Amino acid sequence: MNLAANANAALYASMIVYTLAMLAFTWHLAARAPKVADSKAVAESRAEVAANEREGVLVGAGAPTPAERRPATPYAAGPGFEESLKSRQRGSIALMLTYLASALLVASVLMRGLAVGRPPWGNMFEFATAATAAVGAAYSVLAKRNNWQWLGVFIVTPILLVLGLALTVLYTEAGELMPALKSYWLGIHVSVAFLAVAFFTLAFAVGLLYLVRLRREEKPPAKPNFIESLPSSASLERTAYSLNMVAFILWTFTLIAGAIWAKQAWGAYWQWDPKEVWTFVIWTVYAAYMHGRATAGVDHRKSMYIALAGYVAVIINFTLVNLVSTFVGMHNYSGM
Amino acid sequence: MSTDTDPTTGEATATADTSVDAAATRKATAGATPSDGIRTGMRPDRQEPTLPTLGAIGMLRWGWRQLTSMRTALFLLLLLSIAAVPGSIFPQRNIDAGRVADYIAQNPTSSPWLDKLGFFDVYASPWFSAIYLLLFVSLVGCIVPRTKVHLSALRSRPPRAPARLKRLDEHAEITTTLSPDEALSAARAVLKRKRFRLHSHDATSVSAESGYLRETGNLLFHLALTGIIIGMAVGHLLGWRGDIILAEGDKFASSAGTYNTISPGPWVDTETLPPFVLSLDKLHVEFNETPGRSFGTPRLFDAQTTLQSSPGAPKSSENVSVNHPITVDGADIFLLGNGYTPVITVKDAKGSVLYREATPFLPQDGNYRSVGVIKVPSASPKQLGFTGFFLPTAEPSFTNGPVSIFPDTNNPEVALSVWEGNLFPGGAPQSVYTLNTDEMKQVTKADGSPALIRLKPGQTYQLPGDRGSITFDSVKRFAGLSVRTDPGAPISLVCAILATLGLILGLTIKRRRVFVRVRPAPATTGDGPDGGTLDSPAGADGRPATVVTIGGLSKDSDPGLAAIVSAITTGVHDRLAERTDRS
Ligand code: HEM
Repeated sequence: MNLAANANAALYASMIVYTLAMLAFTWHLAARAPKVADSKAVAESRAEVAANEREGVLVGAGAPTPAERRPATPYAAGPGFEESLKSRQRGSIALMLTYLASALLVASVLMRGLAVGRPPWGNMFEFATAATAAVGAAYSVLAKRNNWQWLGVFIVTPILLVLGLALTVLYTEAGELMPALKSYWLGIHVSVAFLAVAFFTLAFAVGLLYLVRLRREEKPPAKPNFIESLPSSASLERTAYSLNMVAFILWTFTLIAGAIWAKQAWGAYWQWDPKEVWTFVIWTVYAAYMHGRATAGVDHRKSMYIALAGYVAVIINFTLVNLVSTFVGMHNYSGM
Repeated sequence: MSTDTDPTTGEATATADTSVDAAATRKATAGATPSDGIRTGMRPDRQEPTLPTLGAIGMLRWGWRQLTSMRTALFLLLLLSIAAVPGSIFPQRNIDAGRVADYIAQNPTSSPWLDKLGFFDVYASPWFSAIYLLLFVSLVGCIVPRTKVHLSALRSRPPRAPARLKRLDEHAEITTTLSPDEALSAARAVLKRKRFRLHSHDATSVSAESGYLRETGNLLFHLALTGIIIGMAVGHLLGWRGDIILAEGDKFASSAGTYNTISPGPWVDTETLPPFVLSLDKLHVEFNETPGRSFGTPRLFDAQTTLQSSPGAPKSSENVSVNHPITVDGADIFLLGNGYTPVITVKDAKGSVLYREATPFLPQDGNYRSVGVIKVPSASPKQLGFTGFFLPTAEPSFTNGPVSIFPDTNNPEVALSVWEGNLFPGGAPQSVYTLNTDEMKQVTKADGSPALIRLKPGQTYQLPGDRGSITFDSVKRFAGLSVRTDPGAPISLVCAILATLGLILGLTIKRRRVFVRVRPAPATTGDGPDGGTLDSPAGADGRPATVVTIGGLSKDSDPGLAAIVSAITTGVHDRLAERTDRS
């Protein structure tokens, strides 16, 4: 068997294991939903919250506000939420499966890279597999230490969808690169971009959960479900912010490395071709998000909407714009 | 939230803190949303409801404040991102003027409007420029005052400890048999080690602050952004680019007049372009010949050239390929395109040569179906013009018209139609790639059908009537070279690197304040006050005991803060242990 065939085998295997992981994560969430019998604890935690709010402190040096810092609602996770043994066990099983699947996927990408003797992201199929591998790897590295079992299903499911799409629609035999893509800056630029996208993706998933959680904190539902077992909305918001922050730094680097590469390839570091435009759009939207979050009077929910819009731009950049710009790229290199 | 004794109000903050912080606290105590105080805590966001004092100056000042507020920056950033999008949807003149022309031809109703509104030139349009100029002004207007505030913060001392440390995010209280001074000095040692800046406003407390680099990084980031923009402006004003199409075996001497197209920046003196001489010896091109999805895609472009930095200077061999430009006299030479130049000879009826040239035909698709024109003004009685296609691998049947099925020269062929009449109506200059047929008529054969010429290399076609002949001798490749200078690029590059550095500092460093206060423990109790733990009961062995209270604050979520507070308690315990060992 040659490397390229091995790469494909590893890809299929990783999809099977991801599917199992997805099921295990769902199973885990099912065990997380707080029992209605907990409502006494809920009432207590409400009282505690009220007390905390009365204790509110504000200091010039800038501290999280009481409302953000303390679980402001019933069912808040943390000390209030006791994860059952059952749900913890299921969570670990799901995580193990995810590690295995991500390792297989990364191996698949590496083998494909070796098979073609270049960074394995020269076409849309390779793009999709490399990007999902980055997401899977980033999640696997961070999940255990942050107790992110609850996030798993929201990461693994999109990975599976993208891989399925890549195999059915975008599949390309391993081959050589267009000359324009032969530059080590491509390796740097694109690998950092993938990493950035991985973090944007995690942040997006957490951001969505934050919005749902916040909504249910404001209007507590009659029947709690797994959402109520998540960390408090304030804590989810902070997690999303930290992830977005890392992603934004990486994206800034992507932008600069891309400009350097463009300078080598086209002689101008910035000429507003569609790919550059969207890289820039993503960057400004997330810069707006960072500003929003740091601005007095712009609440975090609104800032989060901006970040979610930024993620839509990321998706557009990696789908629509890629297809369009391969067109334009061909045109650029075959003629004047 | 409470408006009663806030720990930083009163004597503590107002005296020692920067005015900004004081303003934040004022606002917070006035009952604004809790997040306000925090967010404004360390940065000069002038969202204060300072109503304009009447009069023009007041209005101006108010406008300026609005422009330089963070809310405006946020709004302008969003606006800029939205405004950039149309440039990726509509074809742009700066990228491909030809596609703009096509688009306008295909959408005759909407495109005049789009054109007026600048949608084909988005990044040079007044509205786009207005947004980024406003952002630029806002940025500068923001950096200057922030730098002033930050400089004075760098020189100022950490503020006095608030009255109730237990209200801060992180706090701890321990009782120890160390004396107050010893306990305080133990705490100071820990804070010092953690690179806090320390100050004691009185004998029983110490205030510490760290993370000044956060704002430094933030300012560096914003300052570097302006630097990038300045670099771009310099490049625009002082940079230039010239494009040449050079056939294999041809030579090019650089000067303002010899480029096919040249676009100099407004401040460029075109008399001072570098006078290099470049000849194209060979252009190596490879295409993928394996059938499949990427059949026919390019694999290699490599131009083998001979370069002299000025006419008469020593020659050197240089290779220019995609991604590998060469540099001469500060100008970079890039290989940006390639195509074919059929060598064509036109003779008159007597057999004397009227035209023999390698004529570039411009590729239109991935298989290099190329269009071109041959103009023979010396033909008589009327001038002759040929227009049509070059096909590197012609599809032989022509059932779908002239089509090429592979980009390399596997079956080269030219397909031309012939025109006669006046080549240059009105004497106006025109492109060498188009034939103006306003004053020309298509040449027909004896039976009245248009003369359509199909030639393979070496073949000759006798023109109908006594008009002579046309021969397709051979085909050579051409390289599309672009010569560019951008004196602003290094400025932008350095600033971009600084911006990244600043961003990393600004986002990862935490601004923290830690306060430690000591007081003698109440003599009688066996338990620490406020539930604090007791090393040993106060005065149990006749020595005085001390209560140490520690409080820490951070700007945002900051898991590290708790570690610092506990490091201080450990530090105090350790000091006690040390002393016990010694005694
Ligand atoms: C060219 C447009 C701008 C971009 C791309 C931009 C980007 C950013 C980014 C990414 C951050 C977060 C990074 C950090 O905290 O170090 C930030 C923070 C900040 N920006 Fe800007 N900015 C721009 C213009 C402005 C303007 C015009 C102002 C003034 C009104 C401003 C004021 C601030 C302030 C005060 C912060 C600190 C927020 C904090 O402490 O977290 N920025 N900016």
